[in-house]
Amino acid sequence: AETTLRVATWLPPTNPQNATVWPTWKKWVEEATEGRVEVVIENYTGHPKTIYDAVEDGIYDVGFSVEAYLPGRFKLSGVAEIPGEITDAETGSVALWRTYKDYFEPADEYEGFQLLGLFVHGPGQLHTKFPVNSLDDLKDKKMRVGGGLVNDLAERLEVTPVSAPSPKSYEMMQQGVVDGTFLPAQEQKFFRLSEISTDLTLFPKGLYTTAFSIVMNQDVFEGLSTKDQQAIMSVSGERLSQLAGAAWGKADDNGILEAKEKGVNVVFLAENDQRVKDLNKLAEGIDQIWVDSVTDRDVDAKAALADFRKYVDDINSKK
Amino acid sequence: MQLSRWIEKQYPEPNIYRWIGLILEGIAATVLLLIVLLTCFDVAGRYLFNNSINGAVELTQIGLAIMVFAQMPIITWRGSHVVVDLLDQILGYRIVKILAIFSVFIISTSFYFLAVRIYQLAERSLRRGELTEYLGLPAGHIAQYIALMSWVTAACMLTYGAYCVLKNKNISQSVGE
Amino acid sequence: MSVVFIGFAVLLLLILVFRMPIAFAMGIVGFFGFAILQGLGFDNLFSFRWTAPLTLASNRVVETVQEYSLSVIPLFILMGNIVTRSGLSQELYNASYAFLGHRKGGLAMSTVLACGGFSAICGSSLATSATMAKVAMPPMRKFGYSDSLATASIAAGGTLGILIPPSVILVIYGLLTESSIRELFAAGFIPGMLGIVLYMAAVRYVVWRNPAAGPAGERMTFKERMIALRGIWGVLMLFTIVMGGIYLGVFTPTEAAGIGAGGALVIGFARRSLSLPGLYETLIDTARTSAMLFSVVIGALIFSDFINRAGLPDALLNFVTALDVAPIVVILVILCIYVVLGMVFESLSMLLLTVPVFFPLVASLGFDLVWFGIVVVVVTEISLITPPVGMNVFVLSAVLKDVRAGTIFKGVTPFWCVDILRLLIIVFVFQVSMFLPELLYR
Ligand code: NA
Ligand code: NA
Repeated sequence: AETTLRVATWLPPTNPQNATVWPTWKKWVEEATEGRVEVVIENYTGHPKTIYDAVEDGIYDVGFSVEAYLPGRFKLSGVAEIPGEITDAETGSVALWRTYKDYFEPADEYEGFQLLGLFVHGPGQLHTKFPVNSLDDLKDKKMRVGGGLVNDLAERLEVTPVSAPSPKSYEMMQQGVVDGTFLPAQEQKFFRLSEISTDLTLFPKGLYTTAFSIVMNQDVFEGLSTKDQQAIMSVSGERLSQLAGAAWGKADDNGILEAKEKGVNVVFLAENDQRVKDLNKLAEGIDQIWVDSVTDRDVDAKAALADFRKYVDDINSKK
Repeated sequence: MQLSRWIEKQYPEPNIYRWIGLILEGIAATVLLLIVLLTCFDVAGRYLFNNSINGAVELTQIGLAIMVFAQMPIITWRGSHVVVDLLDQILGYRIVKILAIFSVFIISTSFYFLAVRIYQLAERSLRRGELTEYLGLPAGHIAQYIALMSWVTAACMLTYGAYCVLKNKNISQSVGE
Repeated sequence: MSVVFIGFAVLLLLILVFRMPIAFAMGIVGFFGFAILQGLGFDNLFSFRWTAPLTLASNRVVETVQEYSLSVIPLFILMGNIVTRSGLSQELYNASYAFLGHRKGGLAMSTVLACGGFSAICGSSLATSATMAKVAMPPMRKFGYSDSLATASIAAGGTLGILIPPSVILVIYGLLTESSIRELFAAGFIPGMLGIVLYMAAVRYVVWRNPAAGPAGERMTFKERMIALRGIWGVLMLFTIVMGGIYLGVFTPTEAAGIGAGGALVIGFARRSLSLPGLYETLIDTARTSAMLFSVVIGALIFSDFINRAGLPDALLNFVTALDVAPIVVILVILCIYVVLGMVFESLSMLLLTVPVFFPLVASLGFDLVWFGIVVVVVTEISLITPPVGMNVFVLSAVLKDVRAGTIFKGVTPFWCVDILRLLIIVFVFQVSMFLPELLYR
């Protein structure tokens, strides 16, 4: 191969990103460029938030990370993180990419990068050591939370928030430091929450999600021939976003299966369930928090939010 | 006065180095104590008031950075870093000293150049408005502080640190023993 | 691949001959090694783009000094320092001496036990060594123990905690390989206890060879023992709060470090054995030791970035895969590789670099991943005390300025020899690790 792209990845080897997304994209890129570009996937052992610097400064050529680790820098993808917006990871990811293309691209949040894709993990749900028969059951319970808009929701649910990185969930729940955690259903399997939670309560549109971006070093991208640039982008963008979303979504299904197998009480809530209605009421106005937070970006946030919702509905109606 | 005698004993360095050491270690000690209190109040708050301190994790992280780098100049010029001394007796006094001077130059240079890059990265981060995850503080300031302290370390090491090696001064490493 | 060997050679040269502090030696070799892999050569010394390696090193510095999980290092060291300064450790040792002092090497055995207990809860070998050095060293010296036996029992005892649950390292292994964490915890228990027993046997061996290393005292009467016990209620309460709090889930191990330090402060002030200037001196002493340890961790991380980029993990995998031998021989080869890597790596970076590489191969050979996790962690423990880069040994020689690293390495040899024995037992007697998880969960 004429060029080798080094991909920085973190997460465990079995995570869909490493088990499915990277190997598939590697195959796509190598085929599309007829072998002129080779992809090598390397384990990143530093903090995932420094992956952005690592790619921008040429330590790696491609990488992905959580945007919420660097709030203030990446704000616009937060549109997907508003509670109750996405139904599943694939839909959310494709809708996010389309919204980016239509509205966010000129704001240039990815200065110094060639953006290859945007995706979200599945809807964040309730993993608890107690049954959630009504939202009042959550009151004063100690819940682990990460960063982002879910904190606003946690405050409205009147839980006692305990901030910690998500991989700490197992330890903290096992020891009883927290009574539950907000995470996507896949973590029943990956973080082994099925061993220590008694209840998994699934809201149709979840409580939140997390946006990830896949970025490439700008100089490396521009150093490729136009033909190869086009070849890489033909297998990235919406295609890569969809690939990632679908893979992460499938992991949610596996997480739910795992939970059932281990005897966790899995509760699917219907749209007309009182808990869902209560949640929707509580979450009212959080979308405005996001709109207000991006006023310093030259973007029509209201229209972007409306279109994001439209894309989600569009994609779902075609399923 | 008792205080001045205490300072004399703990910081036998000449003037400016004495004050740099005293002030920076004062900061490090205070911050360490604050981290202890923060953790205790955070846990107490979680059980007694159903509320933990907002961003306690992040304050601890920032405190760690302040403490470690406030300490960096003095432990570096006093030569307190971990050294493997397996071959000292074989090499002999003169060679050990020459090698120590070589180390002084390498260490100062690394601190200097690394700090330049850390400072550049900090400025870039501030320009982009990067904030910390839980408290939303500007993320670049802590890196600027690290860069600044690295420069102080480099300057002190190249002057007083080199002097100590040449004059074979050994300052007690552990206080109060 | 040759760049890796050159890198190792230069590292050893800088550490051993040039006597450069280990933190800087590792950082500098890692930095230039990485730059060379990025295309640095003699011809482009001035036109080379230094941004990538500089950013790499900068990121490691900035993120490591803000790593929350490393906050246990200063906090547990502080707890140990306060306990020592308040005279509590002396009383604790008087008590152990009253019970075990009449045996040869009895105090070193109780040190192993205390280190095992302490590191089991705090989960950090470095913090345990630093803490127990302050607590255990002065009394052992007072009772006439040789430096090499005293320090070795601390350094070795400190390694036990990463196997005895709760263990941060096992959680990380579990997340990397998607194996059951509670099974890992259960599996670690018996091998951890076996470690304590074997270390005690190592102490017996040392005093059998050289009775002067750990002299026996006089047997005390029951009354004398009770009097000795009376002095230690404060420190016992502190340890009970820290241990109990973690096991009952009142706080996390990281928080426990802060609670322990706070509790030690309260006890120190209550007994009037801690003055304000004393507190200040304890704080800066702790901060100094911590800053040294953080420097070493940063250097080790930059070095491991270089080794990772040089492709050592993949090369090793290819080497092992190409061997056409029985599965158990493959495991033994992997273990040899770990022992060799462990000579120069810091424990966590070794785990992060090698486990993702080896575990698919191990699984495909039909071995149990829980069992492999225990095996890997035991090898990691060994790496903490083997020369030339044994982190626990360095921490001890940094905290105890008057003991040379060479003395500790010499003293610790019997301990890692029994560790190898324990490793072989775990490898060949499957039940040692798997009895509990199979009984409890399968
Ligand atoms: Na442990
Ligand atoms: Na070692």
